[in-house]
Amino acid sequence: MTSSPHDADIVIIGSGPAGVSAAFPLVETGLRVLMIDGAGREAAGTRTAGEPWRKRLGDGLEALVPEDGLSPKLRTPAGRRIVGDFQRRASIEGDGFIAVGALARGGLSRLWGAFVCEFDADDLTGWPIALDDLRSSYRAVTERIGVSGSATDELSTFYGSSGALQPSLPPGPTAARLLACHDDRDAPDFALGLARSAILTADRAGRKACNLGKDCLWGCERGAVYDARFDLAALRRRAEFRLADQALAVRLTRCADGWEVSTQDGRRFSAPRIVMAAGALGTAPLVLPLLPDPSAELRLLSSPVMAMPLVMPARIGRSAPDRGYSLAQLGYRLRYGRREHDYVTGSVYELSYLPMPSFAGRLPLGRRAGMEVMSALAPALMVATAFFPGDCSDNRLAWQRQGNRSTVVVRGGFDAGLADKRGRVAQRLRRIWRRRGAWTLPGTTLAAPGTDVHYAGPFGMGLQRPHGTTRHGELHAAPGIHIVGAAAFPSLPSKHPTLTIMANADRIGRHLAALR
Amino acid sequence: MSQTPRLLITGASGYIGGRLVELAAAHGIEVAVLGGAPPGSDVPATAWRLGEPAPDPTVFAGVTAVIHLGHSWASDARQKTSPDNINLVGGEALARAAFAAGVPRFVFASTTSAGPAARNAYGRIKHAIEQRLAALPAIGQGLVCARIGLVYGGPERALFGLMTKLVRMTPILPIVGLDRRVQPIHVDEVCAGLLALALDPLPPRDGRASSTYVLAGPRPVRFADWLRMLRRAQTGGSMILVPIPTWAALLACDLTRFLPLVPTVDRERVLGLAGTAPMDSAADLAALGIEVADAVSRLGSCRPARRRHTAEAVAMLRYMSGRSRLPVSAIARLLRGIDRVDPGALGLPRLVMLWPELIRVFEPSRPHQGHRLADRLHLAAMVAECLPRPKAARLARFSSLLTQAMLELSALPFRPILSRRYA
Repeated sequence: MTSSPHDADIVIIGSGPAGVSAAFPLVETGLRVLMIDGAGREAAGTRTAGEPWRKRLGDGLEALVPEDGLSPKLRTPAGRRIVGDFQRRASIEGDGFIAVGALARGGLSRLWGAFVCEFDADDLTGWPIALDDLRSSYRAVTERIGVSGSATDELSTFYGSSGALQPSLPPGPTAARLLACHDDRDAPDFALGLARSAILTADRAGRKACNLGKDCLWGCERGAVYDARFDLAALRRRAEFRLADQALAVRLTRCADGWEVSTQDGRRFSAPRIVMAAGALGTAPLVLPLLPDPSAELRLLSSPVMAMPLVMPARIGRSAPDRGYSLAQLGYRLRYGRREHDYVTGSVYELSYLPMPSFAGRLPLGRRAGMEVMSALAPALMVATAFFPGDCSDNRLAWQRQGNRSTVVVRGGFDAGLADKRGRVAQRLRRIWRRRGAWTLPGTTLAAPGTDVHYAGPFGMGLQRPHGTTRHGELHAAPGIHIVGAAAFPSLPSKHPTLTIMANADRIGRHLAALR
Repeated sequence: MSQTPRLLITGASGYIGGRLVELAAAHGIEVAVLGGAPPGSDVPATAWRLGEPAPDPTVFAGVTAVIHLGHSWASDARQKTSPDNINLVGGEALARAAFAAGVPRFVFASTTSAGPAARNAYGRIKHAIEQRLAALPAIGQGLVCARIGLVYGGPERALFGLMTKLVRMTPILPIVGLDRRVQPIHVDEVCAGLLALALDPLPPRDGRASSTYVLAGPRPVRFADWLRMLRRAQTGGSMILVPIPTWAALLACDLTRFLPLVPTVDRERVLGLAGTAPMDSAADLAALGIEVADAVSRLGSCRPARRRHTAEAVAMLRYMSGRSRLPVSAIARLLRGIDRVDPGALGLPRLVMLWPELIRVFEPSRPHQGHRLADRLHLAAMVAECLPRPKAARLARFSSLLTQAMLELSALPFRPILSRRYA
């Protein structure tokens, strides 16, 4: 295809987990791939050495800001930098919605909790694809990124078994005790097991296994926690792959036999096909203008998330563990209804690995007393998240034009039925934790819409509307544009979606490679 | 006319005049002074006083503009608004002589309180002078009246000096006109405005009195708020203002003359406060290219305010870390963090600096985003968390927890009311 007038055979917009996953099958068949990366000029990167404050607060004190309810992952210096940069530069505004995105190399995988699991046949209800269509992609992605977890515990089937797993990480002492006290007889619709994480427990391809250094949140200097930059580095070694730096895509226009992407700094790249992997939010400003009615309101799915602080009395007075990792220790699932998606999933974190002030601020005490109580109790404290499925959210996304500037406004909200479900789930979980030796502390809160950062679906696959996409993510209104990330999920179960985002991108990448 | 602009300034020994001479010199403008020169300055001065016959025409040679800031308070007190008031007579004589000598511009410093029915003689006299000057024949575009607002900043002199002394002296101040709106403007901004009016082509007036420009803060603030801001900047503390009727204030003014150790407050000042009305200044300021900085941030950067701010940060960090010795760099980090979201001191009581544990009675018990003190303490907690901590023995940890519980219990009854102060 060297005689082609285009810059590449495929242009991929976005360098996050979806973008790199779509790129691999394409370059492997010899297609010329150009990836457009909207990252701004990056500072020296996350510092992992030096005085403690540099790591925790950032060289420019980026993380030293008042409490705002964001997840601890997003409150690190890198998190503040990346999310702040996204909120400044992406034309996306939240209205009662915390719009989190990353215009950074590697996308949101720079800030994620590394929790991975597969969707099962129930989760894919209503999708135009079956589990078998995804299985080989799950396998490929799992093997590429390195996943550790248990293949034999109660959740191993629920989390999927397509790819080979590395041995699981040892949970912290409090989480281990919770798991040891777990008995599946009292609540048949509740399952508890070890977390499944994209964290290495055995060295591979230049990355080192986790050494339980406790510093995951502030950037793993060993590279044990997966981030899409590792894949990007591998892709860049291939002759078929090119990366356009600091290229924030702002517009898609049709051109002869294909599409042209214009960037903010005036560059243009064209290809017969475009792969949109710019995140569920980042995809919207580029795709909405292509629809017959660009300002129509579309539904954006998200997973409302609740956090429950737990204390395990048996662990009070113990000292904090010296080693460990600060991401999810355990995972669980609780069914609350009969429909396929009627379950919550979540993970259990140990507080002694997390920064204290934001948790202390939630106690009904003064700040000093809150900190004292927190640090005294930390070895006994956990926090359990509970993600609700996407149908519990009610967010609307619309394209608005003001003068010569256009923005996408996301109006956040919860489905009316959530309050009731949340009450029931919280009550049941309280009882379940209690039976396993942990008391729920006051302060269970539902985070503001958008805080979960599990966004999906304005351009659902199988949706027979102009903004819908085919089973290969190709937009009905604009053939040649393939949406490979969560933006094309027709529904959002409460499971962590990243692995499926990657597998789906891989599947569509294979399809596009086969088209050749 | 010579190449470098040359200014002739009266009232140069005064509050605004002194700063104007400095700034003009800094801008490379040649300055001469009519009357008293600022102390310690070496500008050429020609002896002259208001009420004396017009100065010799040679003083006007090569002068680009006269800025007439001089004012005789003594004459106001004696002669009120009678036509003999030397401010009237002298101002007119000076302007006549300047125009006769071919000076192209005459800038007269007036006040935002100028008006025929102003409550203080100062406002009425300034208005009368404006009228007289405007009636002078053949002045063309040459006459400019600058109506100046409430001037602050720089040396503590004039009304600014009086107010800073008062707010420093006492946390309780009986005063008139608390609801009046004043228009604070920094002395440097006034000087920049006066220089622009003296030397630049005058901005066109759209249908308003041709020669009057307003140099006053574009956003009027309540006089009470202004005094509180001053108090905070000067001492970091808060203040209680007791509104009193004008007659009582006048009586108090008369008393200050006989009281030792108390600055004498002129009746004129009180009447001036009781009778000012805001004037629209934004258009003039914009036309003259003067950007008026926010008074709060300008006052907040003065030294006592900064000291107080630092002392508060130290107290918060001591409270949150439980340590009495803190690295300076940690305090600097906290100050930077605070200044990015909510600059300046909160005005915590002084006792808190001595005994930081007291902070706990002012913070809310409930989780409270957006509470000014709680937000600062959150930042302090983050900074404190990065300080090296000795590993405490279990018993020590337990006793510290017990102490905290007791202190927390004793603070509880005060919080509902006291935490509102810094909400």
